Amino acid sequence: MQAWFEKTAKMFDAAFISGDRWKLYLSGLGVTLEVAFFAAILGMIIGTILAFMKLSVRRNGKKTILTVIANIYIDVIRGTPSVLQLMIMWFIIFSNAKNGVLVAILSFGVNSGAYVAEIVRAGILAVDKGQMEAGRALGLSKTQTMISVIIPQAVKNVLPPIGNEFIVLLKETAIVGYVSLTDLTRAANQIASRTYEPFMPLIGAAVIYFVVIKILTILLGILERRLRKSDNR
Amino acid sequence: MIIVKDLHKTFENNHVLRGVNYHVHQGEKIVVIGPSGSGKSTFLRCLNLLETPTSGEIWFDGINITDPKTDIDKVREHMGMVFQNFNLFNNLTIMQNITLAPVKLKVMGKEEAGENALKLLERVGLKEKADAYPSQLSGGQKQRVAIVRSLAMSPRVMLFDEPTSALDPEMVGEVLDVMKGLADTGMTMVVVTHEMGFAREVGTKVLFMDEGIIMEENTPQEFFSNPKSQRLQDFLSKVL
Repeated sequence: MQAWFEKTAKMFDAAFISGDRWKLYLSGLGVTLEVAFFAAILGMIIGTILAFMKLSVRRNGKKTILTVIANIYIDVIRGTPSVLQLMIMWFIIFSNAKNGVLVAILSFGVNSGAYVAEIVRAGILAVDKGQMEAGRALGLSKTQTMISVIIPQAVKNVLPPIGNEFIVLLKETAIVGYVSLTDLTRAANQIASRTYEPFMPLIGAAVIYFVVIKILTILLGILERRLRKSDNR
Repeated sequence: MIIVKDLHKTFENNHVLRGVNYHVHQGEKIVVIGPSGSGKSTFLRCLNLLETPTSGEIWFDGINITDPKTDIDKVREHMGMVFQNFNLFNNLTIMQNITLAPVKLKVMGKEEAGENALKLLERVGLKEKADAYPSQLSGGQKQRVAIVRSLAMSPRVMLFDEPTSALDPEMVGEVLDVMKGLADTGMTMVVVTHEMGFAREVGTKVLFMDEGIIMEENTPQEFFSNPKSQRLQDFLSKVL
């Protein structure tokens, strides 16, 4: 029993304490959060634009060129692995780039945008079409009704799946090691290969991811409840 | 005031309106009845171009609103519409529902619109609901608010699309009362409904629509006591 305890303590020390290795996890987590945060913002912007491109219809009800472009974008991004997209960005498109973080943000933002587009589009379509009709019947333009009535309701619809997308994105960034960024996962992996004891670093990294995502989930829950105020009976 | 000329509307392969001609005069209360699928709701929704007519013309106050060059938003400011499903803006309070259009369209300032809204709400007995959200109201209350929301734009004509069809029976009366009160103020109204009592009492003209045309039109008295076509006789025998 005591032998086991001593061994565990030694493993813990090797994984986190000696050589100030905890700092590596921390800086790794910093990279993970930085990439995930800015990619999420970029993804929201791209996704929202794509959603509106997809929703644009001509007067005769036919697809516009914008819809076609958005469809191609979404098909291509969803049809290829995100690791490959990241490597293509890093080794081909921006092969001269120095800042790996920026390339990773761009890559994940472009990727997330395709998924967000479908979420936003579904959120807008889920708003009862009578809402738009009522706005138009009062003399408001399509844009005015969108801004004052449709989008505020769509935001509420969209929040749960967007939260899910953020969580997926945060974990997806674990592949940035491929473009030689040291995120949380890679930091853990490096320490494991240095100490020849993978247990502590890998489990430790998993716990850190879990805690961060748990916090994110709680924050999203609070936001959601606040936005549902107008549904209270 | 509203002139409809040879109005046709086709959905996919479904020819819903097959040549409707009608002239609504100022101050008239036109009640449109007919079996479901007869095109009466489509006809009403064409009047403010919520449905785009396939062919034909609609003139409102001397403007051809079916002309693509017409600014339809401007025209709609003068045509109120009340829907079967109320369609109150779920994200806004009752007050905001009523003031949104007048303020956004710069018909009134925010303060004036608020005062006006309270006055109108008082008229329908819902002043105390100003800060409530639509989900907190009963169906009848929602529909009364919907009427007020349209009135806040001071429309020249009000269109009603089966305003009581989605209501529980005990709430129909309160909405019809508001509509009667509105009729008494001289408002021009076009009402699609199944409420025969309302047609008889308030209507100045009753139209019977079937198979995409106006099959019969008459004063309420003649319409109900002396229906001419066989179709209308059958229909009335079923609903009265």
